[in-house]
Amino acid sequence: MTGADGCGPDHCITCGDDGVPMTVVAVDPERGLALCGDGDGERHSVETALVDPVAAGDRLLVHAGTAIAALVEEPPR
Amino acid sequence: MRFVDEFRDAELGRAVAAEILSLIEPGRHYKLMEVCGGHTHSIYKYGVDDLLPANVELVHGPGCPVCVIPMGRVDDGIALARTDGVIFTCFGDMMRVPGSEGSLLEAKAAGADVRMVYSPLDALRIAKQNPDREVVFFAIGFETTAPSTALTLKRARAEGVTNFSCMCNHVTIVPPVRALLESPDLRLDGFIGPGHVSTIVGGRPFEFIPADYGKPLVIAGFEPLDILQAIAMILRQLEAGRCGVENQYTRVVPYEGNLRALEVMAEVFELRPHFEWRGLGFISHSGLQLSEAYADLDAERRFQVPGVRVADPKACQCGEVLKGVIKPWECKVFGTACTPERPIGTCMVSSEGACAAYYNFGRFAREREVV
Repeated sequence: MTGADGCGPDHCITCGDDGVPMTVVAVDPERGLALCGDGDGERHSVETALVDPVAAGDRLLVHAGTAIAALVEEPPR
Repeated sequence: MRFVDEFRDAELGRAVAAEILSLIEPGRHYKLMEVCGGHTHSIYKYGVDDLLPANVELVHGPGCPVCVIPMGRVDDGIALARTDGVIFTCFGDMMRVPGSEGSLLEAKAAGADVRMVYSPLDALRIAKQNPDREVVFFAIGFETTAPSTALTLKRARAEGVTNFSCMCNHVTIVPPVRALLESPDLRLDGFIGPGHVSTIVGGRPFEFIPADYGKPLVIAGFEPLDILQAIAMILRQLEAGRCGVENQYTRVVPYEGNLRALEVMAEVFELRPHFEWRGLGFISHSGLQLSEAYADLDAERRFQVPGVRVADPKACQCGEVLKGVIKPWECKVFGTACTPERPIGTCMVSSEGACAAYYNFGRFAREREVV
């Protein structure tokens, strides 16, 4: 079984030191959670304490259900 | 996907490969270690090593948390999973790691309630849905994953969830790298630094590598172009006769790391005096346990665990693979007695383990060469 934010034959979130780019869809500031969509259109509940404040439309890098960085997108140099 | 595809661009990749060729000194052999299992996986998946000159050798490091879990800890996990009333939760790959008497997956087949989760938050959700059961989360991972566990434990406390606890196996990246640098078996010229671990810890913890050992380290992203660029940056340092910590992955990694993550880790965890690493033995201050303030959420205090040290299987050479002393295919059981379907050693379990990554991707290129 492979999920965008999970373990499976092709990767394991923790061994792969995986970071999944996601887009914030809605924010629940009281609970410190955001509903985020991944590239496959799946939605996930994500901890945002490490990158708060976040707003709908923000791009986050998510690892094990926690946003570890706000994504600053830049092309190859 | 935007800003992913660009980092897989074949033409740009070939341009960086040509730059790498121009940077190497003829007759010199370069041994570079990628510390992180994610890099190992990308290198084999995208054939990055095929683009490198023969005298630039990539050595795979110990940065796969599943691969470094010793058998005794798996046995402890299985003992917890078999405890009456417990729902045992862990990441998927962990379920297949062999302990001395089988894996968590086999314990599940024999009746233990073992469930795969994608995040510690999922494990907490299971605890809230099952208030009459005890839910244990088997936490593994380096500094990338530890803040997620810490935040979930804080959330459990804040929401008054009392049937949730954590068996903590989190490890830290610097002590094993230092142990490798001290190892007489291995001579390295530089390091490809871990990308997402550095998002949390930043670049400073690696500054001892150039300062004390005179080796460059370049923090790198996980796309093939990221890795090639990082190799070029390391070679540029070596060519200029300098060494330092540089950051190729600036689109994600701030040099100072994530201070909030470091704070929450400092609140919830403390360093263990020592922790056992498969193949590397005991390394001082290399593992995390729950701090006194969170002791009530520590599964190892809440339940009885055997805590017995178990030696690695004799046939398994994971330790030498993890130290980069031998290549996966040089292990005597690689691809025969030890396969991803029936792993003997941990490096064959996770697809980010050097053996499984090589088994899944690299061996075909090698078979072509042999034929």
